Amino acid sequence: MINGLVVTHGEFGVELVSVVEMIMGPVPGLTGRSNSGKSVSELAEEIKELISSQQDCDTILFIDDFGGSCANAAQLAGAAGSSTRILTGVNLAMLLDFVTWRETMPIDELPRRLVEKGRQAITAMGPVQEG
Amino acid sequence: MSLILARIDDRLIHGQVTVGWSRILQPDQIVLCNDTIAADSWQSRIYKSAVPPEIEVSILDKESTADFLNNLPLECKTILLVENPEDMFDLVRRGVKIDEVNVGGMHHSNSKYEMFEYVYVNRTDIAYLRRILNSGITINAQSVPGVKVHAIDKLALDAIESIMP
Repeated sequence: MINGLVVTHGEFGVELVSVVEMIMGPVPGLTGRSNSGKSVSELAEEIKELISSQQDCDTILFIDDFGGSCANAAQLAGAAGSSTRILTGVNLAMLLDFVTWRETMPIDELPRRLVEKGRQAITAMGPVQEG
Repeated sequence: MSLILARIDDRLIHGQVTVGWSRILQPDQIVLCNDTIAADSWQSRIYKSAVPPEIEVSILDKESTADFLNNLPLECKTILLVENPEDMFDLVRRGVKIDEVNVGGMHHSNSKYEMFEYVYVNRTDIAYLRRILNSGITINAQSVPGVKVHAIDKLALDAIESIMP
């Protein structure tokens, strides 16, 4: 089982987690956190604590944008390691797929799948033809 | 046929079904029974496109649905979706074998009263829910797996009806 931690600007990540649960039911081990009112080092400290409180468990950190303060904090927290991975550009499809596969797929394989799923979900929808 | 979920949900095919329930139930197919959508190839295409490729989907009118379900192989795990209690009762009346009905969403509109956060009913809904109960079928409200199940039984229907003017 792999835990998920969604760290974003504002309440985006917290809301994403609540939408995931609205669709899939309760998801233990998936947490949302905001950067609001926190310095990068405070956020990094919080991430570190959250990851270490989930002992014996791999964690994937989901960040909203590459290069933003949340991504910086995640890297400062040393979160990119053997039992922890950082993914940026988090979206709903990525999280739904995470919940579907986190019990069966190892941490070495899951991140690549989630990046792929997250990208696939970004489309420019054309009109559906009449008739 | 093996009905693993017979659901009343006015959003029909959406994430709670294709992701939430499907992850737990692993259906082979989804049958959406709705006269309006079945008669409209454009709407049918939109709803079909919302189902992951590994799950078959059929969109049928009420008349075809009963035959279709009754002739399915026993091992075919099926989720049945209808929009409202009236359509569900129609299938019961046509002989579709259902043990339990799941109410996943009957959303707010004028003159409907709240039973639960995602279940609003009017007198017509109550009448058809009663007919379903009287056919020996259990009705439970549950939006997604893992959340609290609310029984929609005679008592619950009497209670909501008693607050209607």
